[in-house]
Amino acid sequence: MTEVLQSTPDREELILNMGPHHPSTHGVLRFIVHTDGEIMRKAVPDVGYLHRGLEKIAELQTYPGYMPFTDRINYLEVMFTNMAYATAVEKLLGTEVPPRAEVLRVLVCELNRIASHQITLGCITMDLGAFTPFVHLLRERERINDLMEALCGNRLTFNYMRIGGVSQDVPDEWLKQLEAFLDHFEPVIDEFDSLISYNEILIKRMGEVAVICAEDAVGFGLVGPNLRASGVDWDVRRDLPYGAYPQMDFQVPVGMGEKGTVGDCFDRFIIRVEEMRQSCKILRQCLANLPEGDIKAKVPKMPRPPKGEVYSCVEGARGELGVYLISDGTPKPYRLKWRTGSFAGLSIIEHISRGLMIADLVAVIATLDVIAPEMDR
Amino acid sequence: MGSFSEYLANIGRSIVTLGDGLAVTFSYLLRKPFTIQYPDRTEKPVVAMLPERSRGILEIDINVCTGCSICAKQCPIDCIHIEVVKDEETKQRVLKRFDIDVAKCMFCGLCVEACPVSGLRHTHEFEGSMSDVHRLMLSFVDKPQPVAKPAKKDEPAPETKPVGSIVRKLLADWWKPANPTSGGPR
Repeated sequence: MTEVLQSTPDREELILNMGPHHPSTHGVLRFIVHTDGEIMRKAVPDVGYLHRGLEKIAELQTYPGYMPFTDRINYLEVMFTNMAYATAVEKLLGTEVPPRAEVLRVLVCELNRIASHQITLGCITMDLGAFTPFVHLLRERERINDLMEALCGNRLTFNYMRIGGVSQDVPDEWLKQLEAFLDHFEPVIDEFDSLISYNEILIKRMGEVAVICAEDAVGFGLVGPNLRASGVDWDVRRDLPYGAYPQMDFQVPVGMGEKGTVGDCFDRFIIRVEEMRQSCKILRQCLANLPEGDIKAKVPKMPRPPKGEVYSCVEGARGELGVYLISDGTPKPYRLKWRTGSFAGLSIIEHISRGLMIADLVAVIATLDVIAPEMDR
Repeated sequence: MGSFSEYLANIGRSIVTLGDGLAVTFSYLLRKPFTIQYPDRTEKPVVAMLPERSRGILEIDINVCTGCSICAKQCPIDCIHIEVVKDEETKQRVLKRFDIDVAKCMFCGLCVEACPVSGLRHTHEFEGSMSDVHRLMLSFVDKPQPVAKPAKKDEPAPETKPVGSIVRKLLADWWKPANPTSGGPR
């Protein structure tokens, strides 16, 4: 960050540090903000504060033993990281996952997507100054946490999936509880809309702010809701189908520029609200078509995948979540690489921050849904 | 034309949409509260309210443990320490040490799934705060004892102590000062 700044005596650039401990940075993340008055010249993200070496740890663990570590990649997307890793190893091993396990995986993933979007939407509104919606959404997320705890025993680090299936079948009455939750939650989304989504003050804070055009979005490798908000219709669930998704019927919401231009902060906000509705729709289909049968394929206790490499991706709550895995035939991975949506989302901030107000940086970080642990891993 | 009328319209829209939001908030005044008052104003203890599969502090019933060490091998972070020695006189395998470092444990449950005799299990206990992190190394073997023999196929599985009773005792023992100079809350 030792850049020579162009400054003249009467017009100096002021450098501000936002973070590492800032309430709106969603973890430990620092921005070096070059400002000219209230206008930013650029905001340079500084990452690495939450690096835990989770890729290196994979090389020291057996294939099943790494599963709990995937929970720690991103505390909001646990089921997706579980699934991305599990499918990668299954591809290497050539394991066929039983149909019931596939549908259960989709079910818990979509439930997790709702929980993740609840936090995201809550954080966006909280960062922009509205505290109540955040509390409402946390309350709803609490119900999902309760469901997850009843299913797999933990509220945050689920460790639910296993290589070849899932760890446990659903307990009695769980599906009924889930249905009751959906009946309760779908009206809550509408309630959330009238509470904050179409609030004029929020619209003014987010509409037309930090517009990302489709070329930039693709160029910087944005994925998931951030990419779709820019008008690019791409969803891994639909376009590179995996698991039980081909059986599901759902729409992929794309940014419409409802309150401004396609790809502005409001599009990134409202697309997540819509995704929650679609997830509810998928969950109902899972409930209706949950096949009977095994929940886990037969996999050796200490699998030794044949030599080879594989890339496996799932559509997480922050977009394409990929695992690149190399096996050398031993019980431990030779190399594992995560591809996460937050890192791509962060990389574009320097580009779009030029000319924005300092106060809008908060909206940009929040709507790009940058999660620090996922970025640094 | 104007910016002034637009300004007024903005204010108008803000007030109307703010009213929508406040109506939602107001309706919560009439609904039942969702929060509970942890820890002492719940109808029953929080530990009793947790679902069946809840993963709390680990415990081992050493009376059924066969000393196979599968759990220690499965543990990704090596928080289970087992020592089994062979007694020269009786030619029996003796369980000398079974420690679980609860401070290190990440509650993933891989060890519990692997235990062939279901002696290792998650309790619902989670309130294990201590003023010294080393005290969270829970020792389940007081004096060395011969390991259990695994049940034969037609035999019924051996009786185990109620889930949670072992850990509860271990945690409670620590909070009771054993002697005035050491142990106990500091």
